[in-house]
Amino acid sequence: MSLLPLLIIFLLFQFLLLKLPQEEVKRILIGICFSFIGLSLFLQGVHAGFLPTGTLLGEQLARLRFNWVAIPIGLLVGLVTVLAEPAVRILTHEVEKVSGGHINQQIMLYTLSAGVAISIGMAMARIIYGIPLLYLLAPGYLLALLMVKYSPPTFVSVAFDSGAVATGPMAATFTMALAVGVASGTAGRDPLMDGFGLIAMATLAPILSVLLLGLIYRGRRLDDEDR
Amino acid sequence: MDDVKDVAREVLTSILPVVVLVVILQLILFENPGYMVIQFIIGAIMVTLGLGLFLIGVKVGLLPLGEAIGAELPQRGSLPILLLSILFIGIAVTAAEPDVRILTHQIDYISAGSIPKSLLIAFVAVGVGLFITIATARVVLGVPMSYILIGSYLAIFTLSAFAPPHFVPIAFDSGGVTTGPMTVPFILALGVGITSVLSGKDSLSDSFGFVALASIGPVIAVMLLGVIYG
Repeated sequence: MSLLPLLIIFLLFQFLLLKLPQEEVKRILIGICFSFIGLSLFLQGVHAGFLPTGTLLGEQLARLRFNWVAIPIGLLVGLVTVLAEPAVRILTHEVEKVSGGHINQQIMLYTLSAGVAISIGMAMARIIYGIPLLYLLAPGYLLALLMVKYSPPTFVSVAFDSGAVATGPMAATFTMALAVGVASGTAGRDPLMDGFGLIAMATLAPILSVLLLGLIYRGRRLDDEDR
Repeated sequence: MDDVKDVAREVLTSILPVVVLVVILQLILFENPGYMVIQFIIGAIMVTLGLGLFLIGVKVGLLPLGEAIGAELPQRGSLPILLLSILFIGIAVTAAEPDVRILTHQIDYISAGSIPKSLLIAFVAVGVGLFITIATARVVLGVPMSYILIGSYLAIFTLSAFAPPHFVPIAFDSGGVTTGPMTVPFILALGVGITSVLSGKDSLSDSFGFVALASIGPVIAVMLLGVIYG
């Protein structure tokens, strides 16, 4: 079902515009088949394992007398997911290239991981203490837009693109379910209002991290020119 | 075969650490975790195999498709046809994105069906489609990225004042999930193809920004849905 629109578009383009050789067409169709089977299996697994487990764990954490423990656990989960996310390696490499080697890949990885981990910890704190999402997001984005003014343009595009990297499939499945669980286990929280918003926080963190590095890079380049 | 090996490593490194952490937490937090741990591990195996197959399919079939379309389209059609095609491609790709399926399912389930999955997917997909169309138009017209970013975020925060409060977190989350394992490589391939044909100049800074705009579109779309719906 989910891949039907793509299949239709492919066939339309193939007949009207692309006219790829048969060999190519076969490859693409096989690829679509693989994706379809994979997606079905993935979604089954998520529904059977990741979502219920995440929600149950979250509820259990929220019911503990020391429910603030959800904050360091969120931090830990954030750190583990971002360090394991393959897209992050691509981004750090990209930034090293854009900055002409001034921003070291390793430094970038630490900044980014710390940023995402803190943001997920904050997302958990938000649920436990009932802080409205906009109180955190609005100043965050305001800060980002302010930094845009002073950052080199290449950093701006990379920064906003990088928002995507920290929120891979693990964030969307497990971490989100965990947050929803914490929200439904905490008295006085509405899982719909308070459980969501974690991915939004995790998207903001890399943007701020890369922009910050952009500012540092700019400073260093100015230093170089002074010499 | 190298593709398969790459995908296997990619999937395992992203899933395994989380699985280990979760099992440890289960063992600490629950008194009789046996059944839960087994259920979780079976689910994790399905997720690993499924994501692996999916990514192989994307690499073998869908990425070459994105590149072919990105390279051919700007040469053949006029600008309106180009923009229209990109709109539909954006919609189709988003509908196939696994992360979008999961988020919309969760929202449908937790809101007890009051925010239906299909409606949400439709709005998110149109949001992505419209904004990668804008991203293309930006490259053609040479508008600086920061103008569009500032305009969009102003629109988002203005809308958030009018949307019902429970739509705000959902809208922001929708922006994050549209950029999953399917959309990012596909849109990047398309974007790099288009910018290299259209602008001819240094495509590095122009082709970036496609993904950023693809994650802003759905936030605005879902906020609008909230304003209309609520």
